[in-house]
Formats: sequence, structure tokens, C-alpha cells
Amino acid sequence: MTAPVIELDNLRVKIGKREILRGLNLELRGKTVGLLGPNGAGKSTLINTLLGFWKPAEGTARVLGYDVRTDARKIRANIGFMPESDSFIGNMPAISFVRMAAELSGLPPDAALERAHEALFYVGLGEARYRVLGAYSLGMRQMAKLAQAIVHGPKLVILDEPTNGLDPQARIRMIKLIQEMRALGTMHLVICSHLLRDIEETCEEAVILKAGQVVHYSNLEEERSSNRRFVELETEGDDGTFADAIERLGCACAITGPGKIKTVLPEGIEVRDIYRLAADRDVQLRRLNFRRDSLEDIFLKAMEK
Amino acid sequence: MAVYKRTYRGYSGPLTNPLWRFTVLQRYAFQAVFKSRLLLIGYVGCFFGPILLLCLLYLNQNASVLALVGQQVGFLKVDSSLFLNFISWQGLLAGILTAFVGPSLVAPDLTNGALSVYLSRPFNRSEYILGKGMVLGSLIASITLLPGLLVFAVQSSLVGFTWFTDNFYLGVGTLLSCLILMAVFMLLGLAMSAFVRWKIVAGALILGVFAAGKGFGAVINNVMETGNGYFLDLQYLLSTVAGGLLHKTPENDPISPWAAAVALLVFCTMLLALINRKLRVCEVAG
Repeated sequence: MTAPVIELDNLRVKIGKREILRGLNLELRGKTVGLLGPNGAGKSTLINTLLGFWKPAEGTARVLGYDVRTDARKIRANIGFMPESDSFIGNMPAISFVRMAAELSGLPPDAALERAHEALFYVGLGEARYRVLGAYSLGMRQMAKLAQAIVHGPKLVILDEPTNGLDPQARIRMIKLIQEMRALGTMHLVICSHLLRDIEETCEEAVILKAGQVVHYSNLEEERSSNRRFVELETEGDDGTFADAIERLGCACAITGPGKIKTVLPEGIEVRDIYRLAADRDVQLRRLNFRRDSLEDIFLKAMEK
Repeated sequence: MAVYKRTYRGYSGPLTNPLWRFTVLQRYAFQAVFKSRLLLIGYVGCFFGPILLLCLLYLNQNASVLALVGQQVGFLKVDSSLFLNFISWQGLLAGILTAFVGPSLVAPDLTNGALSVYLSRPFNRSEYILGKGMVLGSLIASITLLPGLLVFAVQSSLVGFTWFTDNFYLGVGTLLSCLILMAVFMLLGLAMSAFVRWKIVAGALILGVFAAGKGFGAVINNVMETGNGYFLDLQYLLSTVAGGLLHKTPENDPISPWAAAVALLVFCTMLLALINRKLRVCEVAG
């Protein structure tokens, strides 16, 4: 088993007299972890605590094996952080900004410059890297923020609302980039977002926070694989015997409406068998989809707790 | 790897010494500061006084040149008054420089939320303050401390070792006075830049601290018939401390150099607390 990236043990954090995080217990090992929760759930406080800005009032938090109380500097050396809000220097060219970020993480100037070029090309700003950040569009600024977060080769990258304010095309670019980064396997990603679709498309694990507590932990990968054989069908031209035929194949089956069938495929039965059966019986399959609890279902259930 | 090959890789090369990482900010801030030609011209102009003084010191010991203008060697008296006037004049220029440079140091970072980018790295608030402060510090040092020590060194070399030993306190006094000047202006520039995000207002406020302190101080002195108003006069406090260090304290001075030094210390502590408070709020993400 891989070592946990983030370990929280009864983590309590107070800001002033108000307790924001109330005894979080968690071990996250996945390559991409989604942090979900409504406003005021404690997501930002958790990120700030992981970065060492807030000290735990009680309990411990460890990031990449380092304690946030005593090893904040080591943690920050291994983390890349993309803040939610605008964080840049308006009159500075992107290349200088990203280079400076790399140098602040300890890279020598020459290496920092080389990696700044690479990082900006990687996020798709190669052609615009000499333009000042103040002249960038919102989507480009988000990409520049991502470039500064990854320029020093961190082991863990925290992305706070990475698709915030992006138009659909820019959002797709950002999601693809995150998926690419996940596929590289060289870094862990923590994605904090209130957009469930973003988390669903990019993360292996999801943690749902509410009022400073973990209300749900979901291994999305496992859920995807465990529910992948639950199939919904919509048919045309069925004389009412198609469901019986599917059952004879060995599948549990339920008719949910005219021409609508839900079935669970057992081991050894594949979707192609359903297609073959439909072709033999001259039944049109108008729709076939794998149904599972969407993250939205999971989130709404968690919020009801 | 050629940069046009769009891929990502980790970094496993050497890292710089964390102790000197604050100089990264200083370097980038210098580039931004000297983008302004007006400021560059003003900065170069700050060296006019020291160069003129160095020339006068040279002429002061050059009998053949002085004979041409009917003067004798030693027409210029090089004593604590000269050093005090020199520091006061260069200090005035340093104040103006602070008003121009100071506001562009922290305010843009606060306006653009850049602090969370800096501080989410192995880089803390103290290093940030030090890095930004050193921009002002090094500029002020270059127009006060370095020329002051150069004047002392040149005079020592022209007159001889005896002058050096007899007037050693002038060198030490110049060094300490300029360091105090640097610290006060550095903190004042950073604090005003953190306090007010509009550059012009912050610059005006820096000059205003001097003018308002002097004005209020004079009002208090006149109305209450006391000398305590001088505690609000930053220029007076700096000048009193420098005077004390250069053994040039006027008689019947209402404030002693020690009292002025304590007042400056309190002032600097307040500025530091202000900087700390303003940056602490902005440090955290989101």
C-alpha cells in the first residue's frame, strides 16, 4: 500500500474562538483527490492548514509524511499551490512571474528560467509567455497560476477552484490538463471545487466536508468499477419478451416502464451479448447506459446527513 | 529538453541556499523599480552631492589648485558638522526616494493577491519583508551609507592616519546614523505601501508622515509650551540621533539623543506591527 499523501488525525482548527475544522480524520492515498463542500464547510481552512498558515488547535495533520506544525517549510517545498483568487503581478510578463515562483521554491536562476518556459508551454501559454499577466484573459491567468504551481516539480499540487470563471472551452482545456497531469503519475493532485462535474471528471477520491467535518469519503474509482455492470436499456419493437430473454441469459432484470429495462450483468455476460440478443429478436436498442450513483447523488445525500 | 516539446517532468537538481532566497524578491523588485526613467534619473542625481563633496575634499588638500583661486589648504572644515549636514541632505533625498520607490513594493502584491503565491512556497513573511525591505535598504544605503563612508575614507587618505584615529567616531557615527536612517525609511516605505494600496496616496503619506509630524509637533510645542512635540517630528528625531552619534548635540536641546533613539525604536516597532498585521491578513489562501 502506498504511503498516505495527507493524513488527518482528529484535526481541529480554530480561527479566533470559532472552531472551523472539527476533528477531521482522514487518510488520502489517491493520485487525485477532490475536496468538496458548500461555502463555509472548511475547505479553504483545510488548505491553509495543510500549507502551514493555520496551526492545528488539536490533533495532527501530515502532508507527504511531514507534520504541518513542525515541518511547514518542507511541506511547502514539496507543494504547488494554485489559489482560487487572482494571484499575480499585473505588470510582470508570465515568464518572469513563473521563473520568480520557481526561484522562490529554491531553483537556481538558470534552471528556473528553463522550467518556466517548459511549464508555460505545458499549460498552453508558450506563445503568450512574454506578455504581461495584466493583459491575459481570465482563462490564461488560470493557466499561468497553474504553471507557477507546477514549475518547481512539486510532489503534491493543490488546485483551488481551477475552473472558476472559465468559459466552457477553457474549462475543458483545464480539465484535460488536470487529467494529463494525473496520467503522468509524477504528482498527487488535490482539487478543491464546488463543481461536482470537475471532481467527477478528474478525481479518484472525493472527500465531502460540511460544517468542518468529513461527512463522506468516496473512492470514485471503486464506485465506477463496482457499478459498471448496472445497465439501463430503452427498447423499441419489444413484444414484452425481451426482458425474459435477458433473464434467461442469467441477468437480474426489472421492467421500469414501457420499453424500459434495468438489468445487472453477472460475470461472463457482456454488453455484446445484449446487443446480439436484441439483433436476434429484431428489437431496437434506443439507449443503453451504465447507471451508477453520480457524484451529485452522493453529494446531496451527504448534505442531508 | 527543448521547450517546444510539450511535456512535464519533475525537478531533481540542486536548490539554492534558503538563507539567501529573499534576494530573489529583491532582484525582481529592482527590475520593476528601474523601469521608470524618471526614478533612474532622480537616483543618479542623488550622487551629485557626494561627488561634489569628494571633489571639494580633494581640492581642500591640493595647495597648487587652491593657490590659483587664492585659497589656502583646509578652507573646508571637515568635522562633525560637515558629516551631519551631509547625512541630513542625503537623508532628505533618501526620504524622497522612499516616497517614490516604497509604494511600488508591497501594494501591488496586496492588490493582485500575489502574497499567497509567494508564501505557499518555502518562503515566509519575514523573508518577504526582508526581501522587499532590502530593495529600499540597498537604494538608501547606496546614497547615504556608502558615500558617507567613502567621504570619511577619502578624507582619511588625504590627510593621514592621525586624522583617521582622531576622527574615528565620525566614521562610526556616519555608519550608525545611516543604518538607522535605512531602517526607519525601509519600514516606513513598507508600512505605507501595505497600509494604502494606491501608490500615489502611499507616496504622499510617506512624505506626509514627516510633514504632519513636524506640524503637529510644532503645534504641541507652542500650545503646551513644551518640547515634547519634537517626539512627533521624525526628521528632528533622526537628526538628533545622528547629532549624538557624531558628537554634535546642540546645547539646550529639548530631547536627548537617547530619548530620540527610544522614540525612533517605538516608531519602528509600530511600523513593523502594522506591516505584520496587514500581511498576516493577506497571507492565507482564498
